[in-house]
Amino acid sequence: MKRVFQHPPEQPTPTGRKYWRSLGELRDTPEFREFLGREFPAGAAEMEGDGLSRRNFMQLMGASLALAGFGLSGCRRPESYLVPFAKSVEWLIPGKPLFYATAMPRRRGAMPLIAECNDGRPTKLEGNPLHPASNGATDPIAQCSLLDLYDPDRARRFLDGGSGKLEESDGAKFAEWLKTLRESLGANGGVDTAILMEQTHSPTLARIRAELAQAFPALQWVIYDPLRPFNEAEAMQAAFGDGVMLKPRFDKADVILALDSDFLNVEEGGLTASRDFSNRRRVAKAGDAMSRLYVVENRFTLTGGMADHRLRCAAGQIAAVAVALARKLGAAGDILGAIPGVDELAGRVSGQEKWIAEAANDLTRARGKGLVVVGPRQPGIVHLLAWAINSTLGNLGNTLVGLTLPERTPESKSISLLAEAINANKVKNLFILGGNPAYNALAHLNWPALQKKVANVVRLGYYEDETTAAGVRWQVPMAHYLESWGDARGEDGTYMAIQPMILPLFGGWSELDLLAGLLGHEKNDKPDLVRDTFKTLAKPAGDFGSETFEGAWNEFLRNGFLADSGYAERAITLGGGAGAYVTKGAPIQLHPAPTPDALEVVLAGDYKVDDGRYLNNGWLQEMPDPVTRLSWDNAALISPAMGKRYGLDVGDIVDLTAENGTRVRAAVWLAPGHADNSVTLSLGYGRKIVGRVGGESGFNAYPLRTAEPNQLDQTYIVSRVKLAKAAGAGRYLFATMQEHQSMEGRNIVRELPKEIYEKNTGFDEHGRSFVAKMGMDEHIPANIGIYQPARLDGMHQWGMAIDLNTCTGCNACVAACQSENNIPIVGKAQVVKGRIMHWMRIDRYYSTLNEQDEDPQALHQPMLCQHCENAPCETVCPVNATVHSEEGLNLQAYNRCIGTRYCSNNCPYKVRRFNFFNYNERSIQPQESGPFKGETSKLYLGPLGPKGMPEIEKLQKNPNVTVRMRGVMEKCTFCIQRIEEAKIGALRTARDSDNKKVPRDSFKTACQQVCPTEAIVFGDLTDPESKVSKVKEQDRDYKVLEYLNVRPRVSYQARLRNPNPAMPGAEHVGKSIIDNPPEVQSGGHNLHQGYFPGAHGENTGSPARGAINK
Amino acid sequence: MANLFPKWSNWLPLHVIVGGGLVATAATAAVTYYFTPKWTRMGYMPTQPVPFSHKIHVSQLGMDCRYCHSYVEVSEHSNVPSTQTCMNCHTQIKANSPRLAPVRESWKSGEPIAWIRIHRVPDYAYFNHSAHVNRGVSCVSCHGHINQMDVVWQDQPQSMSWCLDCHRAPENALRPVAEVTHLDWKPEDIGRTQRELGLELKAKWNVNPPVTCGGCHR
Repeated sequence: MKRVFQHPPEQPTPTGRKYWRSLGELRDTPEFREFLGREFPAGAAEMEGDGLSRRNFMQLMGASLALAGFGLSGCRRPESYLVPFAKSVEWLIPGKPLFYATAMPRRRGAMPLIAECNDGRPTKLEGNPLHPASNGATDPIAQCSLLDLYDPDRARRFLDGGSGKLEESDGAKFAEWLKTLRESLGANGGVDTAILMEQTHSPTLARIRAELAQAFPALQWVIYDPLRPFNEAEAMQAAFGDGVMLKPRFDKADVILALDSDFLNVEEGGLTASRDFSNRRRVAKAGDAMSRLYVVENRFTLTGGMADHRLRCAAGQIAAVAVALARKLGAAGDILGAIPGVDELAGRVSGQEKWIAEAANDLTRARGKGLVVVGPRQPGIVHLLAWAINSTLGNLGNTLVGLTLPERTPESKSISLLAEAINANKVKNLFILGGNPAYNALAHLNWPALQKKVANVVRLGYYEDETTAAGVRWQVPMAHYLESWGDARGEDGTYMAIQPMILPLFGGWSELDLLAGLLGHEKNDKPDLVRDTFKTLAKPAGDFGSETFEGAWNEFLRNGFLADSGYAERAITLGGGAGAYVTKGAPIQLHPAPTPDALEVVLAGDYKVDDGRYLNNGWLQEMPDPVTRLSWDNAALISPAMGKRYGLDVGDIVDLTAENGTRVRAAVWLAPGHADNSVTLSLGYGRKIVGRVGGESGFNAYPLRTAEPNQLDQTYIVSRVKLAKAAGAGRYLFATMQEHQSMEGRNIVRELPKEIYEKNTGFDEHGRSFVAKMGMDEHIPANIGIYQPARLDGMHQWGMAIDLNTCTGCNACVAACQSENNIPIVGKAQVVKGRIMHWMRIDRYYSTLNEQDEDPQALHQPMLCQHCENAPCETVCPVNATVHSEEGLNLQAYNRCIGTRYCSNNCPYKVRRFNFFNYNERSIQPQESGPFKGETSKLYLGPLGPKGMPEIEKLQKNPNVTVRMRGVMEKCTFCIQRIEEAKIGALRTARDSDNKKVPRDSFKTACQQVCPTEAIVFGDLTDPESKVSKVKEQDRDYKVLEYLNVRPRVSYQARLRNPNPAMPGAEHVGKSIIDNPPEVQSGGHNLHQGYFPGAHGENTGSPARGAINK
Repeated sequence: MANLFPKWSNWLPLHVIVGGGLVATAATAAVTYYFTPKWTRMGYMPTQPVPFSHKIHVSQLGMDCRYCHSYVEVSEHSNVPSTQTCMNCHTQIKANSPRLAPVRESWKSGEPIAWIRIHRVPDYAYFNHSAHVNRGVSCVSCHGHINQMDVVWQDQPQSMSWCLDCHRAPENALRPVAEVTHLDWKPEDIGRTQRELGLELKAKWNVNPPVTCGGCHR
C-alpha cells in the first residue's frame, strides 16, 4: 500500500504576530539562511580557519602515535589504591554526599543555601527548602558562585609590599603586622585609618564594627558597591524615616506597574519577588485569576519579557512617566510642586498619554491591590513619586509593606568623601575589604592614583586584580563564603548561618577574620564570634531553658537559619520628609530628554558578571545573557531604528563620548524593544587584570560613571552622550546563541491572551485542546511509524512539564544543569562556531506585528532533550549508543558513542551537543607561543598541547556523572543520576518486599530544583496524582512539533497574557498565531470553528494556521 | 616470451608469509589477552600493605562482613574500614604483632593505609552495593568465597557481559536477604534448588534488574 504523507499545508500569508529570535531571521538575510541549512553553524564541523591545516594535523597525529608506540604506556593497568580514613569522620559515609545549610552573602541580603559535599568538597549548591524565602530555589549567580571556589586564578598568597615591591609572605607575618598596627591605632584613636568595604548584612560584622568604633572612635567607615541601591535607600530614609525597609508584596498585587524595575531578576528583586509574582500568574484551570503587569523600561529585561503591556521609554524619561501618572491620579502634590520644570517634564510623555491614563485607571480600579515599583537605577525622586502614588491608591501597608530594620548601621561615608580625605593626606592606613575600587570606583576620583597616596593599603581580595596592581602594602587572599564562618540576614531579615564547607584552600581570611584581628582576636577556624551574636539574637535574655544553648546553636546550623527572625512588619505612612527631600535640592536628578545628538547611556548591572566581580567565572561568562543571548561579552545595546539612523550594524565599534570628554569604546548590538536615543551598556566587563577566563571580554563602562557635584554617588544614567562610529576600528565578533538552531517558526512557542483562552478551554472529541491545535499542529496526520516503538513497560515513566506562563527566562536552570552535570565551558571562539555544550538552552523569541513594529513582546522557552518516545536520534545511531530505557528516558552511552553525529543531525529540537574537543582536559586559552600565538586556542594543538585539568577544578566535579571526553555526543539525561539514586533508595527500603516504587515527587531534577518560579515540573507519569501528571492534564499543555509524531516526554504550557482591553495596542497582545479578524472580538464558539476548520488533511487556507513562515 | 609477472612479484610470497605471520601473531596475542581472564584480571592477587586474612576473621572468628564494611547496605560504595575499626579490637588482641605494625603506625600518625584496589569498575559505570545486598544478591556472587581467602584475589571477571548475565537472569543469584552475608549458605541447606528459590524470590520481590544502558552508565 502506498503511504500518503499528509504534511501540514503550506502556510498562508501570516497576518498575526510574527515570532522571531533574531533580526537576521526577521529580515531573512542570506547569512541566516546559510546558518539554518547546517546542522551546526558554519565551521562548527570543520577545522578550517583554525590555523591548523589537515596536513599539519596528520603530521602531529603521526608524531604522537609514534611516541605512544615507543612508550607502550597503555599496556599495564596501573595499580590503584583504596585509602580509607585513619580515624572515621563524623556523619561521613563514603560514596554518599553530605548536605549542610549555609548562605551566600548578596547585595540585598543573604540567599539561603544547601551545599552538597562529596568527600568534603562542595560540588553543588541548592536553595534551602526549609527557608520561607527560598523554597529550594536559587539563581544563576548563586549556582555559579561555586565555581569561584575552585578558580585556579584566585588569590592564593599573602603579598607584602613592605620592601617597595610585592613579595610573597604568609598569614602569620600579616597577623604580626596587624598587631603592630593595632597598637599604633590605639594611640591616635584611628584618626588616620579608613575601612572601605561593601554593604554587608552580617550582624556579627555590625557588632565588630561597633566594638571597633568604641576602641578607635575616629576610625572612618566607607561603604562602596557600584550597584548598591543607594538612591532608593536615601529616598526611603527621607520619606519614611530611619530603620525602615519597604517590601513589595507581589503575591497580593493584582495590577503591577514596574518603572525601570527588573524585579524578576533575582539579584534585584530577590527570590521572593519571582515566586510571589509567578504564583499570581500561575493558571491551573480556566477561571484562575492572573495579575497584570505593566512595564516601562528602556531595554528589554526579564521583567519586560513577562509584561502584558510594555512601554519603551528612555531611562531618564521615566521620571516624566511617573510625573504624568501622579498628575493623572492626583497624587504627590507636594513633591510635584517642588520639582523644578515639572510641566515641561510631564509634557515629554506626549503620544503616550493614553497608555499612561489607562494604566492609571487600571491601578485606580485595583485600589489597595495595585503596586508601583521602581528600579534601583532611577533617581530618588522617581522612588518618592511612586511611593506617593502607592500611598494615594491605598497600597501602602497592603501591597507595599514596611519592615523594621533592627540593626541600624551607623552612617558610613561615601567614597567621594574618602577621596577628599586621602587628597588631604588624612588617611595613612586604608583597609580595602573586598570590592575592586581601582576598577569600579567613580571615574573622576581616579582611584589608582589615590591609592598610591596612602602609605598602608591592606587589600583583602579574592583575586590579585586592578586594586592590587594599583599598589598595596598587603594583599591578603580572601576566603570564599564556602570556606569561612559568618552570618547574615536574608532579604526578609531572617538570621542565617554561613558555615564553611571546607577549610580555606589557600589559607584565605574573611572580612570578619580581618576586622576581628584589628580588634585583637586571634585568627582561628572556629565560629566563636558568630556564636556570640547568635546568643544575643536568639535569646536576648540569655536564657535557653531546657533547650540549652548548644541545642539551639546546633539547630540553627542544621536548619541554616533562626526561625521567625525576619524583620517585623510595621505600619508606614509617607512622611512629610518626602517634600523636604525634594526641597533639599541636592539629590534631585532629572535627566534632559535625549536627542540623537545627546543620547543617554544607561549603566546597568550585568545579568551575569554583576559589577564585574564574576568576570573570571567561566560558567557565568559562557551563559548567554537571558535577553540579548550574548555570551562572553557585553555590548552597547541600541534599538534597530537607531542603528539604521546611524548606519550601524551588529558588531560595529562606536565611541560614546560623555560631556566631560570621557570616551568609551564599545561594539554595538541591535536590541529589539530598546528605547530610541538610549544606549545600554552593562557594567562589569572590559577589565584589564583578570584571570584566564575573563581577560579580553567586553567593554568597560565605568569610565562614564562620574558624580556631578549635585548628585549622589550612584549614577546609572549618563545624559548628553555623543555616539560616533569609530573610524577604522573594524567589526567586533560577538559570540551569540541567538541564531543557533532556529526552529524556523513552527509555532514552537505558543501564547494567547487570557480572554481567548477562557473562551476556548477544555478538549475536543479527540482529546485535544485549543492550545494543542494551534498552528501547524491543528491537524495531525495519522502517522504510522515505520520503526518499532520503544518498549515502555518500566515501573515509572518519567516526564517533564514546563510552564511558559511562569518561566521568566532567568537562566537559573541552565546554570544548575551545568553545575550538576559536569558540563564544560568551551570558550568564546568555540561558542562562535556553535559548539556550546549547555544541555539546556533558553530560547528567547520576539513577536511583532510586522517588520516596522518597534515594540516587540518577548517570550522565553527552555529547550532541552525532549526524550521522545519515538526518538529520531535513536534510529540513526549506527552503534546503538543512544537507546531508549523502559522508563521513557532517551539514553546516551558515552562509551559506545563513536561520534558520527547522525543523532544530532536527526534531532528536530537540536538539543544534542558534541564534544569537538576534550574540553575538560584541554585549555581553551589562546596559544602563548608558536606561529599562532594569541590567535588560536590551545585546543588545536592536539597531542602537543598541554593536557590535564587543573587539580583544583577536579574538586568541583559531580562524582555521579561521567566527565565526557572528545568525540562523544551528549545531552540532557533528565538527571539520570538523581533518578537512579531515588530508585536505589526505594530498593534499599523495599528489601524483601515488592514495594520498590519511588515515592511520589520525592526528588527533583537540577533544573526543577533551582527554578525560582517552579515553572519546571518533573516526575512519574504513571502516577496520576504526581505533580507532573496534574500539570500535563491542563488544557494549556502542548508538545513542540507534535505533528512529527516523535511523542516528546517534555510538554509545555502555553503562555497567557492578560492585557487590559482599554490599553492602546491591547488587541495585539499575546496573539501568537491567532489571527485578528472580527470573530475574535465576537468570540465564542465561532472563533473555534472559524479558526480551526481542520478536518484532517483539509487545506482550507485558513488564515489562522499560520504565522511565521515566509 | 614476455614476462608475465612483473619483477616485484618475486617478493610476493615472502611478503605474504611475513605479513601473514605478523597477523597471526597479533591475532594470537589479542586472543590470549582479550579473550581470556587476563584482560579482566581474574585472579589478580596483589600483596597488601597489611597481611589481613579474611579467612581468619570470617571463617574462624565468625565476624560478619558488615562489621568492617559497615556502609555496604546504605551506600553505593562498600567502604574499606578505617584504621579505627581495626584498632577497636587490636588495641587488645595481638596488640604487639609485627604484622600489624602498619596499622598501629597509621593509628599513631593519622596517615591512612593505602590498600591496593582489586575490584575496579570503569569510571563510566556506576555500580551500587546497596542496591544489590538489600535485594538478596550475596557478596559471594561477585567476590567469590572471600571468607576462605587468606589473600584476596579477583574471583569473577566483572566485565559488562558478566554483569548482564546476572541482570538478565537474576534468579541464579537471589537468596533470602538475611543470608546475603553468609557466604557459605546454599539453597540446598533449606532443601531448595537455586533456580526454584530464585524464581520464587524474583516474583515475590518484583526483581527486575535494569538491562538498558542507563542502569549503570550515566
